[in-house]
Amino acid sequence: MSSMDITSAPPEIARERKVSTRIWQQAFASVEFRIGLIVLTLLIAAALLYPQLSGIDPTKMNIKAKLTPPVFMGEGWTWAHPLGTDQLGRDMLVRALVGLRYSLLIGVSTTVLMLLVGALIGLFAGYFGGRIDTVLMRLTDAQLSIPMIILAITILGVSRPTIPSIILVLGLAGWPVYARVMRSTVMAERKKEYVRGAMVLGATDWRIMFTLLLPLVLPPMAFVAVLDIARMMIFESVLGFLGLGVQPPTPTFGNIISDGRKYLMNAWWIATMPGVFLVLVLTSINLMGASLERARNAIYGGA
Amino acid sequence: MLDTASETTLLSVRGLSVVADGPDGPRQILEGIGFDLKPRQILSVIGESGSGKTVLARTLASWIAAPLRVTAGQVLFKGRDLLADRAYARGLAGREIAYVGGNPAGALDPTMTVGAQLVEKLRAVRPDISASDAKAKAIRLLQAVRIPAAERRFHEYPFQYSGGMMQRAMIVDALISDPALLIADNITQPLDVTVAAQILKLMRELNSEFSTAILFICSSLPVACDASDEVMVLNKGRVVERQTPDRLTAAPQHAYTSALIAELPTLWQEGPQRRRPAATEKPIMSVRGVSKAYETRGKSGKALVQAVRHVDFDVFAGDNFGIVGESGCGKSSLMRLLTGLERPDGGQILFQGEDVGAASARRLRELRREFQLVLQDPYGSLPPQSPIGAILEEPLKIHRIGNRAERRDRARAVMSEVGLHPGLYESLPTGLSAGQRQRLNVARAMILEPSLLIMDETLSALDQTEQGKLLDLFERLQAQHGFTYIFISHDLTMVRQVCSRIAVMYLGEAVEVAPNDRLFFDPGHPYTRALLSAAPTLELRRYRPEDCLLEGEPPSPIDLPPGCAFASRCPQAFDRCRSQNPALLSRGGQALAACFLNPTNEATHV
Repeated sequence: MSSMDITSAPPEIARERKVSTRIWQQAFASVEFRIGLIVLTLLIAAALLYPQLSGIDPTKMNIKAKLTPPVFMGEGWTWAHPLGTDQLGRDMLVRALVGLRYSLLIGVSTTVLMLLVGALIGLFAGYFGGRIDTVLMRLTDAQLSIPMIILAITILGVSRPTIPSIILVLGLAGWPVYARVMRSTVMAERKKEYVRGAMVLGATDWRIMFTLLLPLVLPPMAFVAVLDIARMMIFESVLGFLGLGVQPPTPTFGNIISDGRKYLMNAWWIATMPGVFLVLVLTSINLMGASLERARNAIYGGA
Repeated sequence: MLDTASETTLLSVRGLSVVADGPDGPRQILEGIGFDLKPRQILSVIGESGSGKTVLARTLASWIAAPLRVTAGQVLFKGRDLLADRAYARGLAGREIAYVGGNPAGALDPTMTVGAQLVEKLRAVRPDISASDAKAKAIRLLQAVRIPAAERRFHEYPFQYSGGMMQRAMIVDALISDPALLIADNITQPLDVTVAAQILKLMRELNSEFSTAILFICSSLPVACDASDEVMVLNKGRVVERQTPDRLTAAPQHAYTSALIAELPTLWQEGPQRRRPAATEKPIMSVRGVSKAYETRGKSGKALVQAVRHVDFDVFAGDNFGIVGESGCGKSSLMRLLTGLERPDGGQILFQGEDVGAASARRLRELRREFQLVLQDPYGSLPPQSPIGAILEEPLKIHRIGNRAERRDRARAVMSEVGLHPGLYESLPTGLSAGQRQRLNVARAMILEPSLLIMDETLSALDQTEQGKLLDLFERLQAQHGFTYIFISHDLTMVRQVCSRIAVMYLGEAVEVAPNDRLFFDPGHPYTRALLSAAPTLELRRYRPEDCLLEGEPPSPIDLPPGCAFASRCPQAFDRCRSQNPALLSRGGQALAACFLNPTNEATHV
């Protein structure tokens, strides 16, 4: 490559645009990203708007219309309840969409919380090493040794399970993994020559950590964290199922599944609906995440 | 007919063409390569990077995979075509045809002792040999490649070996199956010159002792000429010339070869010399008795590695100062001290009268505007995923200089000054060549307008042409901005071209500090002579390696022997050298050396 003319103009004009813009553009160009974006937007819009616009109360019972199947799915279906009703005649579509609100709220904020806490602790431990590393990592080990469910049962069983407390408990239980991964990545990066280069330029530790290392190691972790949104939504359902989640009659996925369990034989749609929505949300998020990651890798060329 | 041919030629390559399949269709890598190799012959293949040397080596070793593809030709080994008969070729690989690469650390299994690997290899090739015979043979070969205490070293792991020893172990690994052909691909590239010289000498001896033919792939013409009976020059996938070394250098037949020879920098002859700035009297950086030791954990508890020991020198403003030495001599440790990345255990580093080693963290950050470092690795030294413009503006942001628009203008100005197109502002460095990356590194260092630039092996990853271009750039920048340069390097020819004063380091000490001409024509230390004798050059050598250097490698910096550190390898060492350490004393005319052989040298320090 030495024969390349150094002062020659770059081949593509496209290079003049910012790197982040190019990544988004390239991701947006892929079909998967668009499908994911459309599905997710529709779902979120429906979850936010439909319960209000339709004017149906998700907790309003109608015993006469109980256990109506979804449309085309059995005898007695009606367009009034596109996804059917549960054992108390509550509309499943509204309940599932309201449940999705809670699930998304809890899933996303828990993941963000544990990613931030884990990344910060890992960053400090990996960058400074030594005693700071020892203290932070023993703390992480201690946290890691307590199973998430037991921690949740203990805390939520004692205090009243509210949404903030659920987020806090799940976030608390999830961060150690991120701290570990972050620490080892930062330790490896820290030894590289460009970090030394930044030190020679006069950059402070703070600057190296937050403007040089964090933007570099956080995105790959965030792509992994997308998968954890799913895990956390499922955990919320598990807590709801155990009666430790948001309390009924508020419809969360956990509560709906817990209700529908008893009717699984003759009204399968109650327990299934949350799952269908989970699959839709997670698939669309994953599609977007994967194409973003691909675009990043393509543009950074594996660097 | 084939049988008679195989007696005179071991390997015969006919019209070999290899392409690399890519998105834009196949790209020709090798085209119509043809040559013969006789038993016991050493043939060098040289060419610049991208000429197809390594692809040739790997094709012969039956080690090519997609996207590479052989499109035409024959490789006849003892009369049979390796390309036509893949099973036969695979059977030969590692047995009759051995391959040694340039990365010994990567080729040895770190979880097995060296001896176990050698025995395993041998028994895989010769299942009939007994374990004890295999071990005996491995040890005999380890001795043949002069690994000291071979029987003990047999049981050691690769990480306990030095780079030179690992390379020797790899040669043993290749030779243990008694191959008829050894393909040595850039084996001296990562080694120090004095060690590389020993490996080359060793290779020649092995060649006559074991009657192995050697195909020696190499990118340095002087090394190739030293090593071989014949030299084949490769350019853009074609053989342009094949000659004996003497004829090749005296009367090259092809324009490419002549250009290659003309481009070689010289050590002693008057070539197209660069302007060496005249030293002023004002020191910009003074190093006074600087020492640094690192603690390591060895087998017997903690040990101190004496990385830098009592180093003294002055760097004058506007000057080009060189620090040369082989790996492990303490250059890099010294660089970390000079740039304030680490603080010395003792001594002072005065930069414009201020002690860098004792400055507060805040003051050090301010001082950094004035002295900058350009790092060695063109790939690792740039922050990944930052666009070029952002990389250049980072130093300005760190020191809070200018607003957004001013920083942008400054970055673009510096880019054009070092020869990078300002249109690359938003590009990532991913697409840049090594040379362009080093330009970017230089641009980043000079954007703060420092007065001193420390170049840590900045050019060592670049080929000759690119080095020349960057040296021109340094010269121009120096004329415009009045920079002072410190070049830290292992490359004597580069230092010879650009530096006016040079310090030679050995095992943490500056053993000689002298003006350029004095150092090369009248060196005051035996180690300097040894370095000069081992430097790859086509010139008539002023010093012969045999006279200047004893067999062996430098002692460990953990338990240094008393007296002069070089005594164990010095042919002229006498009793006093082994008990007392000579001090760095003047030999007159600004030249200093630390050797008892110099007449004025009487004082000592321990």
